[in-house]
Amino acid sequence: MKLTGMIRRNKLLAFVIGTYAFLFMAMPDKASSSVRNSMYYIIEMIEIMPVIFVLTAIIETWVPKEVIMKGFGEKAGVKGVFFSFLLGSFSAGPIYAAFPISKMLLKKGASISNVVIILSAWAVIKVPMLANESKFLGIEFMGTRWVLTVISIIAMSMVVAMIVKKKDIPFDEVLKAEKIAGVEVNQEYCIGCGFCASLMPDEFEMDGGKAHWVESSLDTGKLVEYEPVMEKCPAQAIKFV
Amino acid sequence: MDIFTISLWGIAGLVFLASLLKDSKKTFDSMKIARGMMKGMIGEIIAILFLIGLILTFIPPETIKELLGKSDMLLATIAAALAGSVTLIPAFVAFPLVGSFVNAGASIVPAVAFLTTLTMVGIVTFPLEKQEFGIKFALVRNLSSFVFAVIIAVLMGVAL
Repeated sequence: MKLTGMIRRNKLLAFVIGTYAFLFMAMPDKASSSVRNSMYYIIEMIEIMPVIFVLTAIIETWVPKEVIMKGFGEKAGVKGVFFSFLLGSFSAGPIYAAFPISKMLLKKGASISNVVIILSAWAVIKVPMLANESKFLGIEFMGTRWVLTVISIIAMSMVVAMIVKKKDIPFDEVLKAEKIAGVEVNQEYCIGCGFCASLMPDEFEMDGGKAHWVESSLDTGKLVEYEPVMEKCPAQAIKFV
Repeated sequence: MDIFTISLWGIAGLVFLASLLKDSKKTFDSMKIARGMMKGMIGEIIAILFLIGLILTFIPPETIKELLGKSDMLLATIAAALAGSVTLIPAFVAFPLVGSFVNAGASIVPAVAFLTTLTMVGIVTFPLEKQEFGIKFALVRNLSSFVFAVIIAVLMGVAL
């Protein structure tokens, strides 16, 4: 049971392990030359991984995202563009992790074009990733791609803002405190970092690589205590329902 | 280790020390988040690294050079951009994969197209994006990202 779950979560890894197992039996020389071919990339990866790990953690700690987020709005102008790039570039996680944060900023008055910049910058120009890109493809490659990407993102934000207006975007209303019936961890956004479970071990548990809210722990008097966890969640996946 | 990696280690070490001195609790809290994210990716990282070995063993460099280096560049680039749009692997593991193709003789134009659509265009995450921002936004953003990915790739080919 546990094994099938692990295989389902790591389909690619299971496929690669299976292929190697087959090769070592059927064509051992091909298998060992595959391992030899991978070795260079494995060593390079081991060399760069601690750096990326530390940079991600440090950026998470010290970049004042709250301050950056205050710099948005319809009339934010050049400052808004700059802050959008900052927010996107200094955040961790895949692009869909940016959806809930961007939605929240839209609600607070950020413009469509700035949200496009946040999403795109979040996707392609992350600082620790630039280090990784230089490592495997060269500094010149990384630098050129960075410049072209920044220009493209600005052009793209204008194109999207010209076609899509705020009225095209669905908004749901804010829940009043007395209507809160529980807490939900959006399973599609949760990256399984376990931060909520370590901060509030009675309220959240980890299962199958994702966080879940423990329903029996609901205490309407303690709703404020969820706020730090909701804010800190790197995927912004925790919501009142 | 080359000089570039060594200097990165130096920078990372220094900022880490400074961060520890300033607020060790906050630093360790964030390291927990970073560790969680790494743990979520480690399976894919290992898989891709060993997959590179398989690709390099079974697909001869001449074939890679022929398909992604010499033949119809526009077709190869659009195919690479499409492949990037439907794939959902972290950019983190895409760099060694793409690096191995370029080292084997692939042109950088399709390589850049793949890298850019991989992160900016998401067919798999499209339903999520539609749900949060509406169909019009999701459609326009993904389509324009695709077009710009090809433009960036072509310009990279001209510049480098």
